[in-house]
Amino acid sequence: MNNNRGSYSSYQQQRYGGSTSPSAPTIKNPSAHFDKGTEFNDRDRLNDMLATEKWLTDGFNVFVRETSHQDLYNDVLHVLTETHHACRDVFNLMFEKGWYSLHPENPSHIADHYQKFSGYESQFPTQGSGTYQTGAMYPPRDY
Amino acid sequence: MYQNQYSQQQRMSQPPSVLSTKDDAYLTDALSWELLAAKKAHSFASQCSDHQVKHQLEQLCQLHQQHYQTLLNHLSSNQQDYANQTHPHFHN
Repeated sequence: MNNNRGSYSSYQQQRYGGSTSPSAPTIKNPSAHFDKGTEFNDRDRLNDMLATEKWLTDGFNVFVRETSHQDLYNDVLHVLTETHHACRDVFNLMFEKGWYSLHPENPSHIADHYQKFSGYESQFPTQGSGTYQTGAMYPPRDY
Repeated sequence: MYQNQYSQQQRMSQPPSVLSTKDDAYLTDALSWELLAAKKAHSFASQCSDHQVKHQLEQLCQLHQQHYQTLLNHLSSNQQDYANQTHPHFHN
């Protein structure tokens, strides 16, 4: 899939302005070619479809919550999950094409927030690690 | 009428496999969404010059057609059979 455009890790290193993280490079692939005229181009088409998939996940999220019997719930949840995967695939393709860029947060901000919210753990109503483990209460179900 | 019918049976731990009015309303909405999405993806794919983008859009068209069929099944045979057996008065 990557063919001649280089790997995901070959980020285009470029600086961007802004006081928050002056030296952080933008995470972005070199942009693949697309028509830059006034007409609706390939990038627009992919963007429009991403918007459609996102909109569908909202709709199915409400639907699955409102379903009556279990078989319907299972099928609608499955459709919702696959639609999320579709969103992700389109997002990944846009990133690969260099049509999507990300800006890393300043590491010192992340460290500050970690400090702050680690401190809030003291407010937990029950202390200690307890018996709950992620995935133990709601493992994937096969009804 | 339903109330009488169900209250004479054993207590139910989950709703029976019967479509509610709300289910039906959401299903018909969702079917329209899926059909539109499939058509849009197919139309976009046919206009694309980039092969990778074209392929992705064709995949999306297939996905939405599959979802359409999954949802349509709930309006079809099984549900109708169940309704016929359980609620003959539906089809007078």
